[in-house]
Amino acid sequence: MVIEIPLVNITARNTHIIPFEFEYYEPRSLEEALELLAKFKGEAKILAGGTDLLVKMKTRIIEPKVIVNIKRIQGLRYIIEENEHIRIGALTTLRDIEKSTIVEKNLPALHDAVKVMGSIQIRNMATLVGNLCNASPAADTAPPLLVYNARVVAMSTRGKRFIPLEEFFKGPGITALEPDEMLVEVIVKKNNKGSSAFEKVSRVVVDLAIASAAVYAEISSDGVIEDSRVAVGSVAPKPIRTRILEERIKGLRLGSEELKKAIYEIDREISPITDVRSTAEYRRHIVKVLVWNAIERVYRRIRGECV
Amino acid sequence: MSVEFMFIGKRTPRKDAEAKVTGMLKYTYDLEVPGMLIGRIVRSPYAFADIRRIDVSEAVKMGAIVVTPSDIPQKPYNPRLVSINEVTFKDTYILTYKPRYLGEPVAAVAASSEELAQKAAECVKIEFEKIYKPILDPLEAIKPESPRIHEKIMKGDKWIEVENNIAARLDYDEGDVNRGFEEADVIVERTFKTGKRYHMQLEPKAVLVVLEPGGKLTIYTTTQTIHNTRILISQLFDIPESRINVIRVPIGGSFGSSIQTNYLVPIAVALALKAKKPVKIAYTREEDILDHSNFVFHFKIKIGAKKNGVFTAAEFINILDVGAHQVQPYPLLGTSLGWFISMYKWKNIRYRGIAVYTNKVPGCALRGYGAPEVQWAVETLVDEIAEELGIDPIDLRLKNYVGKGELFWGQGPTVKSIIKSDGVPELLLKGKEIIRWSERGHPSEKKGRFRRGIGVGRGFHTSGAGGPISGEVIDYTGCILKLNEDGTLDYITALQDHGGGTLDAHVKIIAEELGIPPELVNIATASTETTPYDVCTHASRGTYVGGECARRAAQIVKQKILEAAIRIIGRVVNPEALRIGYDKELKQAVVYVEGTDIKLTLAEIARTSWQRNWGTIGAFVSYRATSAPPSFTVYYVEVEVDTWTGKVKPIRVVAGVDVGTPINPDMVEGQLHGGFVMAWGMAFTENTAYDPLTGEIMGRGLITDYKIPTAADVPTPEEFTVIIAKTYEPTGPFGAKGLGEAAMNPAVAAILNAVYNAIGIRFYELPVTPDKIIEALKEKGELEW
Amino acid sequence: MCINMVKVAFKVNGEHIELDVSPRELLINTLRSKLGLTSVKYGCGIGECGACTVLVNGEPVLACLTLTVDVNSKDIITLEGLSKNGLTDIQRAFIEEGAIQCGYCTPGFIIMAEYMLREVPNPTISDVKEYLKGNLCRCTGYINIFRAVLKAAKSRVSR
Ligand SMILES: Cc1cc2nc3c(=O)[nH]c(=O)nc-3n(C[C@H](O)[C@H](O)[C@H](O)COP(=O)(O)OP(=O)(O)OC[C@H]3O[C@@H](n4cnc5c(N)ncnc54)[C@H](O)[C@@H]3O)c2cc1C
Ligand code: FES
Ligand code: FES
Repeated sequence: MVIEIPLVNITARNTHIIPFEFEYYEPRSLEEALELLAKFKGEAKILAGGTDLLVKMKTRIIEPKVIVNIKRIQGLRYIIEENEHIRIGALTTLRDIEKSTIVEKNLPALHDAVKVMGSIQIRNMATLVGNLCNASPAADTAPPLLVYNARVVAMSTRGKRFIPLEEFFKGPGITALEPDEMLVEVIVKKNNKGSSAFEKVSRVVVDLAIASAAVYAEISSDGVIEDSRVAVGSVAPKPIRTRILEERIKGLRLGSEELKKAIYEIDREISPITDVRSTAEYRRHIVKVLVWNAIERVYRRIRGECV
Repeated sequence: MSVEFMFIGKRTPRKDAEAKVTGMLKYTYDLEVPGMLIGRIVRSPYAFADIRRIDVSEAVKMGAIVVTPSDIPQKPYNPRLVSINEVTFKDTYILTYKPRYLGEPVAAVAASSEELAQKAAECVKIEFEKIYKPILDPLEAIKPESPRIHEKIMKGDKWIEVENNIAARLDYDEGDVNRGFEEADVIVERTFKTGKRYHMQLEPKAVLVVLEPGGKLTIYTTTQTIHNTRILISQLFDIPESRINVIRVPIGGSFGSSIQTNYLVPIAVALALKAKKPVKIAYTREEDILDHSNFVFHFKIKIGAKKNGVFTAAEFINILDVGAHQVQPYPLLGTSLGWFISMYKWKNIRYRGIAVYTNKVPGCALRGYGAPEVQWAVETLVDEIAEELGIDPIDLRLKNYVGKGELFWGQGPTVKSIIKSDGVPELLLKGKEIIRWSERGHPSEKKGRFRRGIGVGRGFHTSGAGGPISGEVIDYTGCILKLNEDGTLDYITALQDHGGGTLDAHVKIIAEELGIPPELVNIATASTETTPYDVCTHASRGTYVGGECARRAAQIVKQKILEAAIRIIGRVVNPEALRIGYDKELKQAVVYVEGTDIKLTLAEIARTSWQRNWGTIGAFVSYRATSAPPSFTVYYVEVEVDTWTGKVKPIRVVAGVDVGTPINPDMVEGQLHGGFVMAWGMAFTENTAYDPLTGEIMGRGLITDYKIPTAADVPTPEEFTVIIAKTYEPTGPFGAKGLGEAAMNPAVAAILNAVYNAIGIRFYELPVTPDKIIEALKEKGELEW
Repeated sequence: MCINMVKVAFKVNGEHIELDVSPRELLINTLRSKLGLTSVKYGCGIGECGACTVLVNGEPVLACLTLTVDVNSKDIITLEGLSKNGLTDIQRAFIEEGAIQCGYCTPGFIIMAEYMLREVPNPTISDVKEYLKGNLCRCTGYINIFRAVLKAAKSRVSR
């Protein structure tokens, strides 16, 4: 048997520069941006913070012919609290979210997540929407937003559609967006009954997750889980909600053996792999600990013991 | 021994400090000259292949300068000149038709901008004759049926056949090992494997080659040795040394990554010669990791001891994975043995060392040159034996370590000397109190999710590789010191400062010897044509060897200053009565006679010598140290293991060091901080793993997946205590020894012994990632999940 | 509007700059090669090391992941600009505390420390770690850098 040894074009990579040319557009309005996307279809890539896109371009993972830099579009950087909803615009940075009291108060799991993402420099440049559109299985903002049942708003010259986040992720690097669509906003319904938390484990402090977990839960004052939503990262081809687990932990008491056992049910829903960051076995193990820790933290939050 | 010094041992700001904090200091990547071309290297997309043809026509059409193996002398070389020629193994080609690791340079281009050079590089077409499956495991490589990565290489000036991919070997026997093991009451035998670490010095390697009018070459590059760079380029291109000048440029860290002449230097020279223009090549980070990383060490070590804690025998099998090319693994086989043998009195020893080729990035020295690896293994075993024998690990160490009065040969069998200063007992005992060793408890008593443990590691590094006889290693240095016409001094040396403050230490030594303030001494810019030979700033020899050389130069200059003073004074003065010192009122260095009004400023003497045509007061010294004394280090570390996640946190560190007289105590501290943090990375995260199919470093060789500790992973200042032993090295300048590498060496051992003390598990393969800890806890039945 | 060579105008260390750049030009290269501001260091090119950190409109930005066209009309400060009027308290503290070894990482750390002290004048050690964790240093083990930053903070607050 002859095994084909794949060629690795190392010469093409060059992180000093962007090693190839592209056409560049700097739309001043949403309409202009959408028209460009409609015109170039799959050839164009949106540039937001660039912390994923430019790295991928320098290392030749992608070579877009056209770059549409959306950062000059006015009115896309906001966090708005509106009745029952919180809306976050496409140009809102992770640092904006970190500093937002609206987020800290209403979406603590998302707040937890951004605080442990990258460095301050990265958070200052990177956008929440970029994190979602990059669609890494390790995207840290995904599990929190999944447990909030967030929806995203996609726009194109053809119109606007609302996509539940769970349907937005299709696989590693793949989203439900059509090539001419732009994600303009994330909408989260507030839910004040319970609370939420996010946990992550990584190799060093500044790193992508080996695995992560977010939990939204309503827990009685004596520590019984009344309702919950759980989502995990880096243990499947995309960030996922774990519904079987949610069902199984209902009615269980915090810290109990039953709860621990129930968390093992997550094995049926995840499909971790071994990669350069860690092993499949470890991910299988750690994701349970993360879910457990997140539940504990939610409870402490509900009781006002931690922020 | 306690001596009062004027400058030594006191904190003084480093001379380059202001240039560094303002960002004004120019490193190689910052240099530009008019008309300069930018070079890019065309790299092999396969780990192991034969090239049929390289088509450069398109790149040439673009106007780029292109070089392929056919344009370049096909002489095998070893990029590191440190051994004498007879034992220098040469197997590297500047550019090659037979790439042996993924990313090996096969051609290079130069153009007026990096963008154009990039485009040209991508236009070079490589046609392959044959592509082989990469051999990545040395244990597989040595099997007779494995293809040969190299067939013939040169040893000195002779061609030799490579068999079973064995690049070099070294055996050693002392005493009767079999009998030693027979006499032992306990025998412990373990195998160890390290990660393939990468230096991750902050400045990627770079070079700028300038063709001077008349054809002379000036080379600016990231190097620890300007002289060896010059010699190598001279040998490779048959250019006389007098027509090559290598400039010493500030370097953004090194840790061994530029101990050899980096591959890009001869490539840039070839481009510049062809283009007849200046050429600069600066590696991107992802290229830098392909230039060199560390060796991988596979050890099998067996140790025997008697009930009373006396060692009876040791056997050490060392298989070095050297990667695709040799950067002096042969001396590393020697130092590995040296580190081992100089740790403890084993009495009877058997050593078998082989260095094996694989299709990986070539291995080169990385801070400690095998010592952190060997000391990790030895200090693990010593702990295990102590436990078996029921002896306190510290007592066992004190009983058996190689100390004062004993033969020491850290740098291998040809570099031996007697230990004259030894702070080990002081450090072990003081550190023990500070860390509260007696309260550390036994792992079996520790329960719960978070478990703390305390561990110890003891080790050393040599100060250089000098010795009473000339062995297989070249080690000497040289400097020039001259008094300027206004009374200031220029200190000229080829020695490189990697950032540890080596040259500032020299200045203090000169100042101390002369009795003048360090501000008067200028560290001159240096190049090969203006400095005497220095082998390299490696083996922690900067302060010990270079410092002593500087001191001797200062001694000569002092004598000449006094002679000039006598001439000026005119009256008969007993030369013994003259003193040099700093006059606080005059704010100047003066020569005076105690109890008289005779007083001359240094400036006056300098000026008079000049005005009266007496000539320059100066000294030229070339110096080889007659010994390479060990600087001892002792680490006590407390860690906390989260038994749910397998993550480990540093809690407290006590770092003890015996550097003889600390010339710059604050820089000593800084070295220890840096050494500990590097060890932390070695223990828990650092490794370049290879894709078995392609032979590429996993994670595309990006540092996204080569994790070194960040500011948020390390201890706080309060948690880190430094103790400096009060010792005096009689052979060193003002009693000083080296430090850079000793600062790190035994820290990994201490960290992992602490992990053992916390959870009762030992790890024999680095790095100890959380998955390994969880797996081990599970096997032990202690995983709560 | 499609752009091939773009005219950009921005301020660097208080000075007005106008340049024609290709849209793919990176800020790190503009600053270093065109403006000679070599305190902005390349250490990785992919956002991991922080050596290229500069302040854009007062916020820390990685110049290796920023297109020069993107700073059009903005205000950039590099280390050269910070020490225009002599050494800052942070720079002095770096010298005094031995927080520099090879110095290659130093500009990025000083920029981040400056940014931190503007946001958090009275930082704890955890703040310092948080603000500096995006800057890698391979020499110092960070400990003297922490000391230096805390010292500078103290001297600034007491002023
Ligand atoms: C050093 C470093 C550390 C990091 N640490 C983390 C971490 O801890 N956790 C983590 O999850 N990530 C991390 N990242 C990844 C990255 O920073 C985040 O994913 C970030 O949120 C991406 O946002 P951005 O604005 O920079 O996206 P960009 O790079 O601009 O874009 C990312 C992708 O999304 C597309 N896109 C952007 N905006 C839109 C839009 N409005 N509509 C449609 N498509 C769009 C782009 O075309 C591109 O494909 C890190 C990156 C670096 C370099
Ligand atoms: S060079 Fe920009 S972060 Fe490393
Ligand atoms: S001082 Fe060298 S990397 Fe920080």
